[in-house]
Amino acid sequence: MSRNGPFQPSIAPCNSRPAAPGRAPFCGLSPRTLARFLGLDILEEQYAFASDSVTGYTSAQKIPDHWVATTCGYCSVGCGMHIGVKDGRAVSVRGDEQHKANFGKLCPKGLSEHYTLEAENRLRYPVLRRKGRLERIGWDDALDVMARQFQGVQDRHGPQSLGVISTGQLVTEEFYTLGKLVQLGLGTSNFCGNTTLCMATAVAGYKRSFGSDGPPGAYEDLEKADVVFLIGANIAENHPILFHRLEKNPNRTLIVADPRVTKTAMMADVFLPLKPRSDLALVNGIAHILVKNGLIDRTYIDRHTTGFAEFERFVEKYTPEFVSAITGLDQEQIYRTALLFGHAKAAFIGWTMGVNHSTKGTETVNAIVNLSLITGNVGRAGAAPFSITGQCNAMGTREAGFTSSMPGYRKFESRKDREDLAALWNIDPARIPTARGLAYPDIIEAAVARKIRALWVIGTNPVVSYPNVDVLRQGLQDLEFLVVQDGYHPSPTTELADLVLPAAIWGEKEGTYTNSERRVSKVNKAVEPPGEARSDMDIFLALARRLGSYDELFPGWTGPRDAFDEWKRVSSGRLCDYSGMTYELLEAHGGIQWPFPAGSSPAKTSRLYADGRFETADGKARIWCADWEPFPEQPDSQFPFTLNTGRTVEHWHTRTKTGNVPILEHLSPRAWVEMNPSDAKRLRMKPHEKVDILSRRGCVEMVELRVTETVAPGQIFMPFHFAEWNVNQVTQSAFDPISREPNYKQCAVRVQKAGTL
Amino acid sequence: MTLPLIRRAKEDGITFLLTPKTKTSGLHQITALAPAPRIPLTPPAPGEQYRFHFDMTKCIGCKCCVVACNEQNGNPAAINWRRVGEIEGGWYPYTHRLYLSMGCNHCVEPSCLIGCPTEAFTKDSATGIVQHDANMCIGCQYCTWNCSYGVPQYNAARGVVGKCDMCYGRLSKGQEPACVFACPEGAITIETVDIAAWKMEYELTANAPGLPSASDSLSTTRITLPDRLPPDTARVDGYNVKPEPPHWPLVFMLVLTQLSVGAFATIWLLHVLHAKAHLHLGAVAAFVVGALALGASVLHLGRPVYAWRAAKMWKRSWLSREVLVFTLFAVVASGYAALLWQASPAGALLGALTSAFGLLGVTCSAFIYLVPARPAWNSRRTIAEFHLTGAILGPLFVAAAGVTANPSLLRFAACAAALQIVNQAFKFFDMIRAERCEMQASAKLLSSTLKNQVLLRATLLVAGVMIPLLVRNAAGAALGLVFALTAEILGRYLFFVSVVPKNMASAYHVSEAA
Repeated sequence: MSRNGPFQPSIAPCNSRPAAPGRAPFCGLSPRTLARFLGLDILEEQYAFASDSVTGYTSAQKIPDHWVATTCGYCSVGCGMHIGVKDGRAVSVRGDEQHKANFGKLCPKGLSEHYTLEAENRLRYPVLRRKGRLERIGWDDALDVMARQFQGVQDRHGPQSLGVISTGQLVTEEFYTLGKLVQLGLGTSNFCGNTTLCMATAVAGYKRSFGSDGPPGAYEDLEKADVVFLIGANIAENHPILFHRLEKNPNRTLIVADPRVTKTAMMADVFLPLKPRSDLALVNGIAHILVKNGLIDRTYIDRHTTGFAEFERFVEKYTPEFVSAITGLDQEQIYRTALLFGHAKAAFIGWTMGVNHSTKGTETVNAIVNLSLITGNVGRAGAAPFSITGQCNAMGTREAGFTSSMPGYRKFESRKDREDLAALWNIDPARIPTARGLAYPDIIEAAVARKIRALWVIGTNPVVSYPNVDVLRQGLQDLEFLVVQDGYHPSPTTELADLVLPAAIWGEKEGTYTNSERRVSKVNKAVEPPGEARSDMDIFLALARRLGSYDELFPGWTGPRDAFDEWKRVSSGRLCDYSGMTYELLEAHGGIQWPFPAGSSPAKTSRLYADGRFETADGKARIWCADWEPFPEQPDSQFPFTLNTGRTVEHWHTRTKTGNVPILEHLSPRAWVEMNPSDAKRLRMKPHEKVDILSRRGCVEMVELRVTETVAPGQIFMPFHFAEWNVNQVTQSAFDPISREPNYKQCAVRVQKAGTL
Repeated sequence: MTLPLIRRAKEDGITFLLTPKTKTSGLHQITALAPAPRIPLTPPAPGEQYRFHFDMTKCIGCKCCVVACNEQNGNPAAINWRRVGEIEGGWYPYTHRLYLSMGCNHCVEPSCLIGCPTEAFTKDSATGIVQHDANMCIGCQYCTWNCSYGVPQYNAARGVVGKCDMCYGRLSKGQEPACVFACPEGAITIETVDIAAWKMEYELTANAPGLPSASDSLSTTRITLPDRLPPDTARVDGYNVKPEPPHWPLVFMLVLTQLSVGAFATIWLLHVLHAKAHLHLGAVAAFVVGALALGASVLHLGRPVYAWRAAKMWKRSWLSREVLVFTLFAVVASGYAALLWQASPAGALLGALTSAFGLLGVTCSAFIYLVPARPAWNSRRTIAEFHLTGAILGPLFVAAAGVTANPSLLRFAACAAALQIVNQAFKFFDMIRAERCEMQASAKLLSSTLKNQVLLRATLLVAGVMIPLLVRNAAGAALGLVFALTAEILGRYLFFVSVVPKNMASAYHVSEAA
């Protein structure tokens, strides 16, 4: 343990309360200990204050030697921030007042992000499994073993027997490099990312409706819309800085649809407490009222969409009576929502995981986009169907990665796109796959079926985050070789690995992130990675050298700038056009939104499809008829509760980072499960009691019960951050047929007192 | 003194704080770069002070303020000078979960300051900010018992208390306090308040569900509540009652000083009644016990070497008074013991003085605990409990020390023990009958988690006074004293751990280590 930050007082207290943690007995008698015991030493140096022109008057140890401008590495809001560096250590952070995403504000995770760099469980050198134990090895050996094992597996079982699961946490330059390395260097297309657990549904929905991925709106729309309709999105908890942007809009009417009374729901002007997974019916019901009452934009529909005539007939059946029965909402509430939406001058619809984590997710996205299209609420200030993304650079992997589409939103199916790309890369077009490889859940199922024999997991922790996790654990254990590349070890996933590569994380490397509003922001290196850890870019290039593909794919590359320069050329002329950007421009303007073709001036907020021309073949957006269906696993007498999963503001994903930030752990130390008082009374359960949650697939034991009216009777809610109480032991293997995103949000469970199993 | 807010703000280049609030006009104008000023632009006038305003309707419970405060002050994770609590009410889907963000309330009548035995606390005359000086603090933690909101927190690593000072150092330079600056929703601001007017109206806007009454110390924080709160809105942490720390040095200090005082009073009574006894031996032994007790008390301090400072604020602090009176007691008692040794005739007079100082000292001890912030302590039964401990242990000690074999001593101790048990029973009934949730929580602790200790204490006490009555020899007396002493130590332990302090509502899930 080498941390000597403020959370680790160097002198242990001698006469503290017995309850105080870290208390050392009064035995050591160094002069400092004695001085402390007597009360002569009150750690004045550690608790001193000082004044600084940037921070103002503050704790002296938080005042850095210099600041490094960067972008937050947690969520996709993409807040600009500065890391304060003192003696080579990150000692503080502050929001960037010039950055156009957050204007100086940060959430509690961002405010304490510097602690993630010095977490005790940062991996400092590569480790290889030998005789069952992970032992330290050198980088050269590690990469040799990795290349040899991958090639061995591919020789024996075919090139597609290697799978790669990446993340939304790397910089765009690394995603771009990794895509080429995997598809062309390693020669497998079984390449996907944890973004499939998160945003794949929005991607698939946008592609179907607009012909391309790419959220059309901007955060500024939250400030300009007169109706903001949030569906399955708890932004007050999960994107607090977006809520901050929303709160700047004094004229908005906020409508929130959510089965749980979330923080966001409590702030709403109209709250629609709909039944789980009835969102699609609600959205169709709103469309029904809009169509019936002529609250639609005929001109826009005629000029810029196809499929409306069929849609008009389709929504006939979504009468308020019908929708009311499905959603549990009053007809009056449905009418009111539809009328507010229909009469809005600028209506914004935002959604997150409530919509995406569903077997009907993609179609629900299409239905949401329908609402915007038929009312002409696309491409104008304040008007957008807007997917609020999850990870800091999920957008980057969507644009530049090479997983579900080719770099620059190019389509595998399009010969022109393949040839286009091959020409840019100076390779034979035949080397580019004509269809995407396996998606994340299909890679896991192929591993269980022993078709995938080696796996490379980068920057993600599937043993906590994957649904019905025992299936995944089985798949990983059956592999011939599992490589995990991460900043942190041990994690439940690295513990299963044959080889763990230590990666640099946020704050230790350079590149760009793209946020939810297509704003590309610069990410900078503030401190050196710990020990021998290397940036992911470095690792990719080193592996490419061993595979013999470096000179062909990455000639002369040394770092992210090389990748960025090539990516600019590759994205040129595409929807996500980066060609006018430079690192210097990004830094000077607080991030720049794409499209940004060469010669553009970094001016104001941009929106996609302002001209009504979409990325489809005919240039028109497609209106889809998406029929509601009940969620797959309905509660029954054995498993009477519907389990909902989600987040808390203090933690990020599987807590590999935030679990090591003392203040966040202090504020949210344990998992819990929320249950309505009427259910708790019936089951004779008391607040804070430990309960077990069981499904047909597994059990989460010893979870602290929270009895609260924020959940409806018959429903329970549990956060998914905690490996120690992993809710994915009980979630199900049900996936959206189009996007392959898991149905995390609803499954049938039973709750019983702990220990009665 | 004055706070040169405007001048300094310009000097430091932080002129945005001076940007006047502009009215935003609707749909197509964005004023993202011009935050409304969240601190007053001028220092308070005479009769005014600064205060926090917390707008509960804006708070989303993100806890940015907590993180920013800890970063600002370099505090470890377990010490939060600003905290966010939760209150909840209503029925699904008409549920309200609201958040209470609170630093220090910079009270008009700060109970922390009034209790402090040194000059660690000051209420700044210009701003009304209640400040704490770590250098003056001796780590007695008495302020942490006095504040109804749990604001001062003891930092065991430093041996001193710390608290929110409204970022005095920032305010005086025209900078927003860390919490104010960090809040993404603008829910926390600094305002100026007219103290005289506030005294008339504070009850309307200083109180909120989940907060102790603002009347305890005249809190200055103004709280904006939502218009329509569900009628059942209440704190969510009521089910999570944990025992308080036992403060072992204080347990021993209290029981042993009370024993010593009881013993000296007994010796003096025997002295004036001309009983046949070896008084001088008893007096020396009682003095030694008393001195040990006072020594033990020093171990309670975070900074034992500055114990002498504790006598300083005797005009306002019961802790200072206790220190002073017990010091006098120790001086006079040593004199009395010496005179007894020499069988001097002046001894009786000094004995009377010793007993008087002793009883006064025990009374001062008790008054330390009569604080509104700790309802289970805040009763005359505490005074009775402390004196009865002396009345039980004093005679038993004298008997066990072989001073006299007079059985009336033992009968007196037995009566005192009976009264002690009755006193405890009444204390328990008080708790059950009380409306305050803290009192009921104390009763719940005593009747559940601490039930065995309560029964053991009573049993040991009965045994302690009965054994010497039944076994009339030195061994019986000694055994009785050991039992009764253990009973009273256990009793004082229960006194400390079973008190449930008033505090602001906490979050539902609190860290175990806090």
